[in-house]
Parts: sequence; structure tokens; C-alpha cells
Amino acid sequence: MAANNPMGVDKEQAFGMAETEMEYRVELFNRLAQTCFNKCVDKRYKESELNMGENSCIDRCVSKYWQVNSMIGQLLSAGGRPPM
Amino acid sequence: MASSNPETESNNGSSIAKEPEKPQIEAFRMPTMEEMRAQEVWNNCAVRSVASGVMGGGLGLMMGMFLGALDNPIMQEEMTGRQQFMYTMRQMGQRSWSSAKAFAVMGLIFSAAECVVEKARAKHDTTNTVVAGCVTGGTMSAKGDENCKKEYNVSFMGQDERIPSYVCRRPKSSLCWLCWLRSILSTDREVLGQTYLIGIESCSSFEEDQFFRKT
Repeated sequence: MAANNPMGVDKEQAFGMAETEMEYRVELFNRLAQTCFNKCVDKRYKESELNMGENSCIDRCVSKYWQVNSMIGQLLSAGGRPPM
Repeated sequence: MASSNPETESNNGSSIAKEPEKPQIEAFRMPTMEEMRAQEVWNNCAVRSVASGVMGGGLGLMMGMFLGALDNPIMQEEMTGRQQFMYTMRQMGQRSWSSAKAFAVMGLIFSAAECVVEKARAKHDTTNTVVAGCVTGGTMSAKGDENCKKEYNVSFMGQDERIPSYVCRRPKSSLCWLCWLRSILSTDREVLGQTYLIGIESCSSFEEDQFFRKT
């Protein structure tokens, strides 16, 4: 068994980590899409395609969401505890 | 379950055979990269304004030709038929070219202004159109009225001085007034507040000539 994993990580552990990562990614995508859609797109659907205002709104929303996410991820991962 | 499924399928088959007009709902497919890129072309401000300018030019051309053809003094005593024809053609051409230029510029500025404002605000609203109309009206009438440069000679404090040309602007284009009117008639409060001020500012700044009277 030691010859099969040169990285020293158990196969089960690696699988668990990948699964957690996958869940995290899926959750991030879903929440991002939901948030930006609720913020940017008016509920009275007048046409089926995104117009320019909505396009730029979604661009900005995704960019900000991503920045905030990475910033908070860095803060949490560096200290292990959010600096209060 | 296995025995009931063929029965439902046969029932469905017979029902579909009885009503062939039932609309087929097609499966939803995500837009491909080509479709997305084709839509992205129209999000570009330059492309949109150029296309709008071209359309405005075409419209102006048609309108100018039509109006130029109607508006011709037919002097049958002086010119022969062929000369009349040539004269009419030249008149139509001149008229259509000038109106095509004016409409093309108007379409270009309006579309560019609306695109820029909408991208900056990130909202699809009527405020974008109103502001774009104001900007268009302002730029179209920014050159000023040449006639009023001669009229206004004011003696101010005993000194005769010519009024600078920026005073003599009058909003010749009706778009500026249209934006003011839309701001009044709109029921949305935010639109009303913003565009009323914008309309007032851009339309009334041209009316400074009311303070200068001819002496």
C-alpha cells in the first residue's frame, strides 16, 4: 500500500478531499449565479435575451463576488481564525 | 409497473394520433460560443453607434429624396423638360445628402450616448434614453443660430458690445424638449428627479438670450 501512494496521502483521504472541494465549488457556483441573477435581472421579463445593462451588471457582480470570496478565503486560511 | 407502461404508451400513441396539432416543446439548449459571440458584437458601443448612424443616414436619404422631389419650383417658361428634370434631380440630391448627414450624426450620437450611459449605470431603464436624448439635442444645437449673431447688439453699461455666440443658442432640435417632457410625464420617481434636473439644465442653459434684449 505504501508503494501505491508516493505522496503519502491515503487514497480515501484524497477522495474525501476531492469530494469536499467539489461540493464547495458547486455550492459557490450556485450561490454566485443565484445572487447575481437576483441582483441584476429584473423580474418582469420583457425579452428573452440579456440587454447591455444586465450584461455589465452581471460582469461586475461576478467580479466582485469572486474578489470577496478569494479575500475571505485568504483571511480564513492564513490565520485559521478571522482577525477580529 | 411493467404491464401498465405499455398501456399508457399505447394510450399516448392513440391520443397523439388523434391530435396532431399539439405543439412540440423543443428541448432547451444552451447558446453555443458562436451565438454568444454574435450577441457580444451588439454589446459593443462602437458597433452599435455606427450601425445606428448608418440606419439614420439611410432614413435621412429617403426622407430627403422624398421631400426634395416634392419641393421644386417648376418654371415652365424658362427651362425645358430635360432641364427641369436635371434641376429636380440636383435639388433632390442636395436635400437628401444634407438630411442624410444630419440624421446620421443624430443617430450616431444618440446611440453612442445611450450605450455609454447604460453600460455605466448597469441598468436597463428609460433614464438612459432620456439622458441620451438630452445629449443629442444639446450637441445638435450647439453650433448656434447664425442669424442671431447679427441681431443682438447690446449696450451694456454704456458700451456697445457683441454678445458672444454661446448665448445665442436655441434648442433647434426637439430632442432636448422631448427629454424634458419625458421627465415630466414619467411616473417613476427616480427617473423624474434625475431627468427633470437634466432636462432643465441642458435645455434652459440655451435660453440665456432672454436676459439680453435688443436695444
